[in-house]
Amino acid sequence: MPDSQIEVENLTKVYHVPEREAGLTASVRSFFRRTYRDVLAVKGISFSIEAGEIVGFIGANGAGKTTTLKMLTGLLQPSSGSATIAGFTPWERQPAYLRRISMVMGNKSQMLWDIPPLDTFRVLGAIYGLSSVEAARTVNELVELLQMQNLLTKPVRNMSLGERMKCELTAALIHRPEVLFLDEPTIGLDVSAQRRLRQFIVDYNRQSGVTVMLTSHYMADVMELCNRVILIQQGKLIYDGDLAALSQQLAPFKLVRLTLNIDDPVRALRACLPPDAEILAGMNGDITLRLDRTKTAHIIAHLLNSLPVDDLSIENPPIEAVIDQIYQGEEVL
Amino acid sequence: MLRHLRIIRVFVAASTQQELAYHANFAISLLNALLKLATGWLGLVIVFEQVDALNGWDYAAALAVLGVYLLVGALRDLVLAPSLNQLAGLEGDIWQGTFDFVLLRPANTQFLVSVRQWQIFAVFDVVMALLVIAAACAQITLTAANLLAFLLLLTGGVITIYAMMLIFSSLLFWSPGFLFTWVFDGIFQMARYPVGIYPGALGLLLTWVIPIGIITTVPAQALTGDISAEMMLATLIFAVVALAVASLLFRRATNRYASASS
Repeated sequence: MPDSQIEVENLTKVYHVPEREAGLTASVRSFFRRTYRDVLAVKGISFSIEAGEIVGFIGANGAGKTTTLKMLTGLLQPSSGSATIAGFTPWERQPAYLRRISMVMGNKSQMLWDIPPLDTFRVLGAIYGLSSVEAARTVNELVELLQMQNLLTKPVRNMSLGERMKCELTAALIHRPEVLFLDEPTIGLDVSAQRRLRQFIVDYNRQSGVTVMLTSHYMADVMELCNRVILIQQGKLIYDGDLAALSQQLAPFKLVRLTLNIDDPVRALRACLPPDAEILAGMNGDITLRLDRTKTAHIIAHLLNSLPVDDLSIENPPIEAVIDQIYQGEEVL
Repeated sequence: MLRHLRIIRVFVAASTQQELAYHANFAISLLNALLKLATGWLGLVIVFEQVDALNGWDYAAALAVLGVYLLVGALRDLVLAPSLNQLAGLEGDIWQGTFDFVLLRPANTQFLVSVRQWQIFAVFDVVMALLVIAAACAQITLTAANLLAFLLLLTGGVITIYAMMLIFSSLLFWSPGFLFTWVFDGIFQMARYPVGIYPGALGLLLTWVIPIGIITTVPAQALTGDISAEMMLATLIFAVVALAVASLLFRRATNRYASASS
């Protein structure tokens, strides 16, 4: 396929929401005369994704992730812009398109609650027009991969969240989609269930070549699964690239760990550091400094010249800290 | 078409399994069917003990209406109500946002929401209703032409009740918490008796505006041979138009759907 699997161009969504103020009088007033406010949820984002990629789609709550996924799965009409996925325009919702995609939502279930998962799979097989042989083969493969043989005859109602999530994945993949949208699939899962689920996504992607777009608030998901992340902030795309480079590019500071061979290292450092440099408490004479990224080289040269440094290392801040800063809307660019 | 039949078959199977998971359902459904029959039939017996005819309706004709009422109600309870009710209320698909999954399916959305849940024990009601209709037939002279007209208009009646329910379900998309379907259930209660017994204007209202007359009285009239060709035609046209309007409204409703944000 010469073109990308997912091609998004200037995608924009404006919600037209009724405005309500607090209080009874305001409620009565708005009952007779509604006022509306436009909320710009997604502001002209563009990106493209190749077949077989696993891309992390991250951003703070309310940044526009779910809105974007909903447009790409055809659940929402965009206000403007275009998207082509596997050759289709999602919001036309052509059956041929819907057959090629699937979506797993961590907070919504598509299973029938009172009966065992096998019966839900049977219903889905019929809806997607799969032959029973075909459906059974796919289910067997997935069951093997997810190690959920013991769950097949257990009513979904009685399952733990981790068990149910395995069923949700099988249900979502029964028609062998080309593109898989995962909206916070690990939400609420315990650490080992999260790890197994991530491993499954990696294995399944390798086996089937499915393109995956994933949102998650757990950086571990993103770090383990995605070579590439797309970061949106208040509806705007602010970063598209690999995760390691993200912290390099977006973190405004570096962490410098050093060991000094003097008695009162903190005071000595204060004396020769610029006032905006932060000294973080260290242990056993190890000290961590937080330095402005652009000035780091200069400051270190100065330190090495003026103080007895035993050991020194320069690190990027942990990804979580960088993301946190971005989510909080601090100026990082 | 074959694919649709297969989808219906798996929905029936899955729903039956869900119902069988609860043993008490069986007994309660049977009891419920008997109660419905008893209340409807006793009402007629009490009235026709006193008078021979009510506004031109004799016992056999009224019994035919009751039979059709029970039959249409049974078909509604069998699949239409359980399916469409899944959209409604705080546990419903619209409020919960699980309607997303319906929209993601590569099949007609209206079809899926209309046939996805079956309350299989409602077949008791179907059997009971057929017995009542048979009892009514035993008291009249039934011709083949009347029977044919009856089947045709019964189909029209079922289409009409489906259209009404779909319209009320579509309104849910504008106000997902409101139980529109209950409102319709209340109105439908009036279809138990011939609309002819209601005084002039109300009778017309119940035929053409809230079309419960079309749903039960008209098919029953066809059975007793008490209907004009014009009325039959008008009824069938009404049913088709109602279905078209309902489908259009449902399409607008789903287009409007912006699922509950997560």
